[in-house]
Amino acid sequence: MEAAQDLSPLSLLFCALLMLLPLAAVWYFRLGLVKNVLISSIRMVVQLVLMGVYLELLFKWNVGWINLLWFLAMMTAAMFSVLKNSQLNAKRLAWPVLASFALTNLFILLYFNGLVVRLDSLFDAKYIIAIGGMILGNSLRGNVVGLGDFYQSIAKEEHLYTYKLGLGASSYEALLPFAKQSFKAAIMPGIASMATMGIVSVPGMMTGQLLGGSVPMTAIKYQIAIMVAILTSTVIGIALSLIFTTRIAFDRNGMLRKDILHSNSSQNYHR
Amino acid sequence: MTLFECTGISKQFSTQFVLNNFDFSVAAGDKWDIRGASGIGKTTLFKLLLGFIQPESGSIHYKGKALTSKQVWQVRKDVAYVSQDAHIGHGLVNELFIETAGYKNNHSRYQTREQLAMHLDFFELNPGILNKPLEQLSGGEKQRIALINALMLNRTIFFLDEMTSALDGRMKIRTRDLFFTQNDWTVLSISHDLHSTTYPNTQTLTLGK
Repeated sequence: MEAAQDLSPLSLLFCALLMLLPLAAVWYFRLGLVKNVLISSIRMVVQLVLMGVYLELLFKWNVGWINLLWFLAMMTAAMFSVLKNSQLNAKRLAWPVLASFALTNLFILLYFNGLVVRLDSLFDAKYIIAIGGMILGNSLRGNVVGLGDFYQSIAKEEHLYTYKLGLGASSYEALLPFAKQSFKAAIMPGIASMATMGIVSVPGMMTGQLLGGSVPMTAIKYQIAIMVAILTSTVIGIALSLIFTTRIAFDRNGMLRKDILHSNSSQNYHR
Repeated sequence: MTLFECTGISKQFSTQFVLNNFDFSVAAGDKWDIRGASGIGKTTLFKLLLGFIQPESGSIHYKGKALTSKQVWQVRKDVAYVSQDAHIGHGLVNELFIETAGYKNNHSRYQTREQLAMHLDFFELNPGILNKPLEQLSGGEKQRIALINALMLNRTIFFLDEMTSALDGRMKIRTRDLFFTQNDWTVLSISHDLHSTTYPNTQTLTLGK
């Protein structure tokens, strides 16, 4: 196996030159995005360089508990990103969502590393951070859709929800149809993307492995395993997030607390 | 027996009071016509009694007990509520009945398919409506389906919010006859319609006066 070819300063310079094309296009068509493109590019470079620095450190130390701590930090960032993007109150829901992510992803990660990859040391930096990050990152969108859709549809269809309560439903019974709907919305894109795997694009993980020197079949086996892990983590993650957050988001009368959704988000929301 | 007892309740939305120091008492078997201009707090009263919202001040009792969370769930078990909002669910009409029958509280009480057929007949609905999506029903059809679902619950307290607003004249009278002539039923009915028929023992509550 031979590692991917390093990029020299000259290579990076050529890469930067390539950036001039989109910049020129954005400027020429007066899209008003020149500043955005520049800021985004600079942010990307700075963030990735920092990532490179700490990954080098983490890989060099390779201490189990530090790796785990790092993974916990990644999950915390993921949690805040999900709550922000689904317009939910982070002060109220941070803990239940973090608990859901931690339980889900640690379970999947340990299962994956222990039983699928069969690592000798379960907390190896490469696997915890690379595989964990991959699972976490890819289940984010599903979690945003799942949680956001659930709370927004209850706020939007409050009459329907209270109608069910008035018919004698327990809050669990009244919430179940909403949960099912949001669950579906959250996992459909993942299922659809599984079906197009290998036709439309070469998945990022495979690209990495192929460049890293793996033979295609190894890369493909990893890709299949990671897709299963991502789907599992999305499904369990949403289920736990819904179960954990509903305990906090609804009062004893079964009503959605007013401060759970950020104001006017329900008006911006279209199904 | 007194079912509901409101004492000095006030409820405001933003700065406007919809109910201000309001007293109201409902005994078993009462029939109430609740009237008043839009936005005066008629629906708010139902929401307060069902525990969907809380009053700023005053107290509500149900069957002699303060309306705590525990008692709120009891009210929702005892009251058949027809909401003004025509949005009663997604999916087929039949699925609404199946879902409602499936709630644990309704297990032993929800009426049979034979009774459903009778209700459909009474409300002049074709049984074929059961396989239609709720979203495709007209306002009047939805209203009648909501009324049938309330009847199927086999309860004796009814909160009816604009139950006949989308029905034609003859069906309005039929529906009112049905609810207002059962001695053991307690009926609170919100309506904007001017009714030609009044029933003995019916009391009128006019809000905003």
